[in-house]
Amino acid sequence: MKRCAACEVEIEGTWATCPLCGARTEGEGVPDPVPAVPLEFSRRRVLAMLFFASLAVILASLAAQLLFNRGDDGVGVLRSIWLGVVALWLVVMMAVRKRRNVAKGTAYLVILLGGVSAYWDYLTGWNGWSLSYAVPATCACSIVAVLIAVRVMHTEVGEHIVYSWMTAVLGLVPVVFLALGWVRHPVVSIVCGVLSVIALAVQLASLRETRHELAKRLHL
Amino acid sequence: MTRRTWVRLDNASTMFLAARSDADPKVFRMTAEMDHDVDPVVLQKALDATFDRYPLYRAVLRRGVFWYYLQDSDLRPEVVAETRHTCAPIYQADERTLLFRVVHHRRRINLEVFHALSDGTGALWFLTDLVTAYVSLRFPDDPAVRTDPGRHGVRVEGGVEAGGDRHELEADSFARYFRTREPAAGGASPRSRGLGRFVGASTERAHTVRGTRTPDNRTRVVELTMSAADVLALARAEGVSLTSYLTALFFRSVRAAEESTDAVSTLGVSIPVNLRQLFPSTSARNFFTTVRLEHTYGRGDDELGAVCRDLDAQLRAQTTEEALGERVRRFIRFERMIVLRIVPSPIKDLLLGLLNRASNRGLTVAISNLGNIRLPEPAASHTTRILFHVSAVRPQFCAVSYAGRLTLSFTSPFTETGHVREFARFLSSRGISVTVSAARVTEEELSGVGPAGEGDLR
Repeated sequence: MKRCAACEVEIEGTWATCPLCGARTEGEGVPDPVPAVPLEFSRRRVLAMLFFASLAVILASLAAQLLFNRGDDGVGVLRSIWLGVVALWLVVMMAVRKRRNVAKGTAYLVILLGGVSAYWDYLTGWNGWSLSYAVPATCACSIVAVLIAVRVMHTEVGEHIVYSWMTAVLGLVPVVFLALGWVRHPVVSIVCGVLSVIALAVQLASLRETRHELAKRLHL
Repeated sequence: MTRRTWVRLDNASTMFLAARSDADPKVFRMTAEMDHDVDPVVLQKALDATFDRYPLYRAVLRRGVFWYYLQDSDLRPEVVAETRHTCAPIYQADERTLLFRVVHHRRRINLEVFHALSDGTGALWFLTDLVTAYVSLRFPDDPAVRTDPGRHGVRVEGGVEAGGDRHELEADSFARYFRTREPAAGGASPRSRGLGRFVGASTERAHTVRGTRTPDNRTRVVELTMSAADVLALARAEGVSLTSYLTALFFRSVRAAEESTDAVSTLGVSIPVNLRQLFPSTSARNFFTTVRLEHTYGRGDDELGAVCRDLDAQLRAQTTEEALGERVRRFIRFERMIVLRIVPSPIKDLLLGLLNRASNRGLTVAISNLGNIRLPEPAASHTTRILFHVSAVRPQFCAVSYAGRLTLSFTSPFTETGHVREFARFLSSRGISVTVSAARVTEEELSGVGPAGEGDLR
């Protein structure tokens, strides 16, 4: 019989590694009392397939928009429904995928939502609603969301610090748009900028942790 | 034309229907390991003979408007080689299939049963009769083989001798014992059908184990085999029962296997109690109740011995005749609730499912100990090992002793085996020789191994 020295147990069958601890086994194998039944499916592979299929459909949908005329003519309201469904799909998918790190997931969502809404705005004739409302509102919400979430969920500083900084800095982007004169209705951008400054001030309090984390991540 | 007999499914069994999921199809497996490779043709003959004496096992499950019911069928079971993973789903809605299967692989005869049909004791009777019939047919010249292979009994110590009888598709034992209008005087327990047994005291919160789900929802099984006397000696040294000792060791192993444990955390365990011990019954249908024990770590003495004694005291208190009777009495009220009776079964499923999830939050692990089993001759002389395990929604083990060997079959919906490793290492550190047998579950484990498990024999 096989034997695991670390666990001090005998192992029936032909295990090359111990089924309990993974260490290499010693000794002769014996016929396994239970069969090795092939997997019926693999959850990991199913999920990976779903993810990439979804991503392909979403990207194709976004690209297909360019085939139609910009502005309200052409596909009209159908385009809004189509983009709405695709955007929702994308958001749900990314939220599920990044569910284990809320701060990271939020930062990703800000970039995705910002990109999609700007593209959507462009497709519908560039009325500027994305830069005036959608992008700053998303940034502002994300800053507040991350500030609350990491405290409520007792997330470790190292886990969220980079993304907390990221959402705070992203909050300054609408201010840049404002400075460049791209924004027609400035209220939301201003609110976002104020929140961003507050968040940056909070982050500065944990500067040492940030430096440590960056040193670790940028280590050559 | 004769009408098919049918019988309503009791609440306890309905719970299994409501609680089943992809990862936990509520199927259990009882295994007899022989001293030779099993002959499928002979096993089929033995199954045919045994099957005729268990009308209960002829039943298929159907769904009425308010209840599920078991209905007699003309289906015949077929012995199959083991090509699916253990405890694969048996009951599929709208499929008229028998609620059990007999699977063989090398030396093992496995009986898999959907839990709504029968409990461990009931299934053990069937397996005993099956193995007895098999051995009688396989070794007709064996001096131990009697002329009548039909009437044999299994003996569970402290339990009831049964088996060999005809197990009808009859009303469950809850009904038989407890279906009286007025509670009988003199401490005789009134009736209950146990939905509340699953709610019971387990509304408290307990630490729950998390892990990586197996790739295709199969149950992860790891079996430990050891000398029963050696482990019993450890339990005796602490002055507690084997069940309490193993439970305390299980708690300890679960905690040891986790990377970070909260300073103060409560671990809860669910233990089924066979009611046949108090209320003799030969019905193979579900007839058990569950008790819940717990220990809070981080508040006082957490040494193994102290935890053992804590759990042992709780177990003793909860399994006295009075306590079980009281439990049963409490559930009667629930059972008699007219509201519950007239709820349509899909909604009942939903409600029971929610109740089950609520009670799951109070449980860290579950254990089941069938006790010490003695098989009748000629089965005994050709059976080397008895094992059983059940599909699980949380880490669990099922213990059974036979011929001086104690087998602990750990099951879990997760691939991790850290708690089994800690359990085994503890026992081997106490000088007990432990043998491990495990079914391959992950892609890595299955790669490079043939279907019969004939890998590298070096």
